[in-house]
Amino acid sequence: MKAAASRILPGLLTVVFGLLVWEGISLFFLPVFFPGPVALLKCMIVIYSDPASYEVFRQTLLRIFEGFVISMVAGTAFGLLMGLKRDVEIFFDSWIMVLLTVPAVCWAFLSVLWFGISDVAPILTIVLIVFPFVVMNIWEGTKAIEKDLIEMGSVYRVDRLLMLRKVFIPQLMPYILSSLRISLSLSWKIALVAEAFGAGSGVGQQLFISFQDTRVDMMLAWGVSFMIVMVLIDLLVFRLWARRAFAWRPQPAT
Amino acid sequence: MAYVMLKPAAASGAEVHSAIAVKDLTKHFLAPGGAEAFTVLDRVSLQVGEGKFVSIVGPSGCGKSTLLNIIAGIESYDSGLVTVSTREGADARPRIAYVFQSPRLLNWLTVEGNIHFVLEAQGVSRRLWAELVSRHLEMVGLSGQEKNYPLNLSGGMQQRVAIARALAIEPDILLMDEPFSHLDAITARKMRFDLMGILARAKPTILFVTHDLTEAVFLSDRIYMMKTRPARIFKEVSVDFPRPRQPEDSAVLDLEKTLTREFFRGLEAEA
Repeated sequence: MKAAASRILPGLLTVVFGLLVWEGISLFFLPVFFPGPVALLKCMIVIYSDPASYEVFRQTLLRIFEGFVISMVAGTAFGLLMGLKRDVEIFFDSWIMVLLTVPAVCWAFLSVLWFGISDVAPILTIVLIVFPFVVMNIWEGTKAIEKDLIEMGSVYRVDRLLMLRKVFIPQLMPYILSSLRISLSLSWKIALVAEAFGAGSGVGQQLFISFQDTRVDMMLAWGVSFMIVMVLIDLLVFRLWARRAFAWRPQPAT
Repeated sequence: MAYVMLKPAAASGAEVHSAIAVKDLTKHFLAPGGAEAFTVLDRVSLQVGEGKFVSIVGPSGCGKSTLLNIIAGIESYDSGLVTVSTREGADARPRIAYVFQSPRLLNWLTVEGNIHFVLEAQGVSRRLWAELVSRHLEMVGLSGQEKNYPLNLSGGMQQRVAIARALAIEPDILLMDEPFSHLDAITARKMRFDLMGILARAKPTILFVTHDLTEAVFLSDRIYMMKTRPARIFKEVSVDFPRPRQPEDSAVLDLEKTLTREFFRGLEAEA
């Protein structure tokens, strides 16, 4: 108990101190220009207590989810293919690099120009940015697959599907999980930008409206409110899942 | 219990059929840089009769593992003839099991899952899995470890899981590549005894690679001695002591002494 307290206490103190400094500085400015933590909290309460906000969250979450799932599934499959098939790797190597280097904002504008104000634009933007990232990551992962185990499998005449399920995928799990988490956080940031440009709804649009009204307090409040939702998803889904997926690793002695 | 779950037992007393026949096997490796080839295996010939325990003894780097890999079908060769067969005829594909130097277990699967993995690959009916797993884990002295993960086991236990995995498919041919070399002397000795006991019940054809003559004399029906540069077999000895054997038996020790002398003489002799 005492040890835990002495570990948490300094961290807590710095947070409190930071909030106090922030509040202090904010006293010199208008809240709509530089809100303090108290003003921000009030705005967030306004957002969380308005039922319409949840519809806004829902729209954005749905787009993030679709873009994220498409990127993950396609990216994992493609990354695996590139890692296992030399021809595919040679052919697409430079294309993935090209995709990775296109600035995010170009994709956001392009998607809006091609698909107009719609659901497709933010989803496509997410996929165009996250997909090559996932491919890179999984492709890297395939290089860490142990050749010894593949050899063992082929002696026992293990077929491709079984090899994929029991030999390749488990060894790629760390890469898949890190891709999942990083792409989710990438996805939601991209989604907000893409929505601001052209979705006509969602959290990104709310941010854009606050920006036009020069309401920094509401802008931050929308951003932070949504951030909390995403952090909760990360904690509840991925941390728990990771713990289960790696149950076979011996627990480090504490 | 008879060793008959997956196929009928071979009739005893018939002529000795060679399960593994290797003739003039040659393989070259490209030297780093790719220009010059060096010879890993130079016209190697050997025969392993069905149900026999045959060892290949040689210094490290003499191509013993490469030879096993070629017989297992996971490495290519440049010339020669390799035949792996069963008594049941030309169309029956022999089941091959391989125990490597390191256990090569899938650490994310339980002990039981690791055995299921090869049973599934070999197309063994799911109904038989539980029985095959428990029987073979019992043989290697690991009953009750079904649900445990490999990384919670000691190195010796992991290697036994690998042996149970190999035996579980009830192989026609069992290849073993220095399976006890990573274990301490005491565990290794116990495992050799256990292996003998296990093989008294399950009767696969075994090709066993080692650099330890004591081990080879204790375990084998026949020993091939191999040397490097050029990598070839220079002597063949048959070991006719009755089983079960004791490693400290004076006849065994005498043979070991004689063979050790011949082995080192052979290694030092000019090609």
